[in-house]
Amino acid sequence: MSEAVHTGQGEDLEFDPVFLHSRREAIIIFFVWLAAFIWAVPYCYFNGYVDATSVVEIDTVWGIPSWVFWGIGAPWIAANIFTTWFCFCYMEDDDLGEAMEGADIAEEVSEMHADDKGANA
Amino acid sequence: MSATLPQFSQMIGFSPLLAAASSNAALITFLIYTLAVFGLAALSNQLMKNKNFLSEYFLGSRSLGVWAFALTFAATSSSGGSFTGFPSKIYTHGWILGLWIGSYIVVPICAMGLLGKRINHVARISGAITVPDVLRDRFHSARFGLLAVSLIVFFMSFNLIAQFKAGSEILNTLLSGVGPFDQSVAWVDSVKSNVGFLQNVDPAYLLCLVTFSVAVILYTTYGGFHAVVWTDVMQGIVMVIGVIIMLPLAINAVGSLPEATEQLARMTPPRIGLAQVSVEVPATESLTLNGPWFTLPGEDDARPRLFRINKTLVIPAGKTTVDHVRYVEVTTPEEIDNQLKRLADQDQTDIAAFKVKLREFMQSQLEWIKKNPDSASGGKGEDVRGNIRLLEQQSAALLGTGSFQPVDIEITLSKRYPAPFGDGRAGMYVSGPGPPKPPSLPADPGTIVVNVDQPDAEIRVFNSANVRQVTRSTDDGPAVIALNKGEYRLDVVKADFSVFSQEITITKDATATLDVNLVAAPDAEYGPMSDDEEESILSLGFLPLSIAISFFFMWAISGAGQPSSMVRLMAFNNSTTLRRSIFTVAIYYSLIYFPLVIIFCCARVILPGMDLESDRIMPQMAVTLTQQIGQGWLAGLLVAAPFAAVMSTVDSFLLMISSALVRDIYQRNINPEAKEKTIKRLTFLFTFMVGAGATLGAVNPPQFLQDIIVYTGSGLAACFLAPTVFALYWPRSNSQGCIGGMLAGFSAHLAMYVAGYFANGSFFKPYQLFDFNPIIVGLLVSFVGGYLITRLTPPPSEEIVRKYFYRKKTS
Repeated sequence: MSEAVHTGQGEDLEFDPVFLHSRREAIIIFFVWLAAFIWAVPYCYFNGYVDATSVVEIDTVWGIPSWVFWGIGAPWIAANIFTTWFCFCYMEDDDLGEAMEGADIAEEVSEMHADDKGANA
Repeated sequence: MSATLPQFSQMIGFSPLLAAASSNAALITFLIYTLAVFGLAALSNQLMKNKNFLSEYFLGSRSLGVWAFALTFAATSSSGGSFTGFPSKIYTHGWILGLWIGSYIVVPICAMGLLGKRINHVARISGAITVPDVLRDRFHSARFGLLAVSLIVFFMSFNLIAQFKAGSEILNTLLSGVGPFDQSVAWVDSVKSNVGFLQNVDPAYLLCLVTFSVAVILYTTYGGFHAVVWTDVMQGIVMVIGVIIMLPLAINAVGSLPEATEQLARMTPPRIGLAQVSVEVPATESLTLNGPWFTLPGEDDARPRLFRINKTLVIPAGKTTVDHVRYVEVTTPEEIDNQLKRLADQDQTDIAAFKVKLREFMQSQLEWIKKNPDSASGGKGEDVRGNIRLLEQQSAALLGTGSFQPVDIEITLSKRYPAPFGDGRAGMYVSGPGPPKPPSLPADPGTIVVNVDQPDAEIRVFNSANVRQVTRSTDDGPAVIALNKGEYRLDVVKADFSVFSQEITITKDATATLDVNLVAAPDAEYGPMSDDEEESILSLGFLPLSIAISFFFMWAISGAGQPSSMVRLMAFNNSTTLRRSIFTVAIYYSLIYFPLVIIFCCARVILPGMDLESDRIMPQMAVTLTQQIGQGWLAGLLVAAPFAAVMSTVDSFLLMISSALVRDIYQRNINPEAKEKTIKRLTFLFTFMVGAGATLGAVNPPQFLQDIIVYTGSGLAACFLAPTVFALYWPRSNSQGCIGGMLAGFSAHLAMYVAGYFANGSFFKPYQLFDFNPIIVGLLVSFVGGYLITRLTPPPSEEIVRKYFYRKKTS
């Protein structure tokens, strides 16, 4: 992904691990969303949507319509189990670093003064 | 037709929503709640000492721990809609709302995990305090920062006005009927009559708006981010406790969840219509009836037809007739029987309670008269025994018989607006796509009466765009169909008969009649519907497939793209907090959203007939459930939940706009060397001014409240998600690509709404490309546009890429 970016070949640099870990975790999360989407919407559509003329007969699980239970309720429990594993067993405890409070403003002020000096010179 | 008004309670003016005990509890809850909020603001203000002011005021010094971060994130994401609009939707459409919020199964991990760690990291590298700060610093582009600020201020300002209105309306519902509040409303009414632009404003709404605004503006201005976070924590706790209490009460009230679902499965959607209500003799004082129930004789004498009039019916003094009264007709026999029984029980309870109160009152009057005979006789030394006897006789008469003469009321059902989908069909509340929302009144209504010579036929009416407007069975005799004026096509179909089809014209206030004689045709091709016809009918329901897909994107993906969420993601203290908070929010949402679906599916069984005022179902349910267990005071806590939800959203938005003005515009573009004292004063000033501006805007708010919230929420996601993802995860991304992606998302999203204005006649009925919500189009165009422009433009400077993506090798 960084093939077109020149980062200074002479310098001894590596990708920041926070970036790498965050990206890997984001990709996994996206696929979890996709899996939930692929399961929940088609399951509910094919099992919960009635045609416009038929008489509705409803199956329930613990009082919840079965299409809601298996389409949404059960995946919800599964997603919570996955979230628990992901948060406590997979996600990296990265050091996010110290906040450089005011660094951006300081940089802009110094650039502003440099521009002023350049203009005066 | 003559109707009886069976409710004793409505004759003596009991408020059906908040009975006295629970109303006082609501007022006390609100006062305690407000005091707690101000206390938290004062504590937060103390924290600002000896810290970087802007970082503390707008970001809490990036120091949020697990509970603070998790609950502020959850509470901010749960706007007032979670406890007003969402329950209303569940009540109206049933179990299909489980799919509507289906993506909440992954919302916590998506909304917090997709961007959380990385945006917090990037913000720390540059010292960014706001979302525009992050984008500006990441690309070293002042114009990108300004564009981001402009879009935030544009969208958030509209949203803030809508949220102020929502907060005020919830407060109004909460306090309506409380003595001191009603007295204050009367005072406000007299004062506002002298102020020109306030003359048409509802005094109760105005009082609530001012109270709500003053509370939110003061604590947000004074306490800053920490005050907002701590109040969010408190509000988050109130919300979850409210739901946890209501769930077992609701299930208990219906017997069991299986019973509730079985009853829902047998229910047919109610019918909506207009009626004329009249009394025989003009009332000397105006007669006010709160959501009254009426019965009319049914086809068989065993079971009457049961109606509920919309909200409050007022028959003014001296008048005998009120026109255009909206009604709901309960159509399920089981529901009718249950509700009639409940009304009879309620009458007995109310009469018994009234007798107790009357006995106490009479007793105190008699005691007083006996002790003060001179005062009772006007100081003239007259014999008061006559007065005492009169009181005793009246008391005995009332207490002895309890016979209150019902008011004779005449009702004429003038128009009926059948639902376009599901009318008369059972099972709608337990299956998809769910019944549509109750039809709104046509602006220019006319009527057609269709007489079909065959039973079991189906009448279908299509508009000029060939979209089906009405489906009716001929089982009930002549079909009286009310439609907006215009041209339509009317089809009548029945198996083994030729299809009857005719163009019809509906004229305002006119009634046309159409006699249909179906021609037998044993070989006619009318039979089961084709897939296209089937799909066309399903699309008239609440949640057709395309919209279900859109909402799966809406909550989880666009939730991650909200700047108000991103700011919170910049405020946690370390990645351990993030991990634990994602888990906490996952459990928190599980305890709130799915239980809400269960609670308000039960509400449909417990409280029928609220279809035209379903926004009030949450407080009504709170009062009903707590009164059933004899703990009316609990209602105060339960109805505080929606108020807490809207407050926690408003304070966050308020802070976002003021941070955009002070940090992103003034400090970063006008005066980077401004002293902290100046920044501090400006921050307080701008926060106050933005709040005051939103209050003024909400005095006469725009009409389409929920539509504005949807437009701004989806618009912000279409603008911000793609550029932020590129900025955080793609080293090759550059300012041209991200600015292009932002503008492309904004334009595509806006284009759908503008197209909707021309195609559907309203800006808030957006054009839905392939039936998808505009958010899908906006996100797609933003991502694709941003990627292509980035590829076509030069890569960013090495310095920037090194700063945000690389570090020196450690070994």
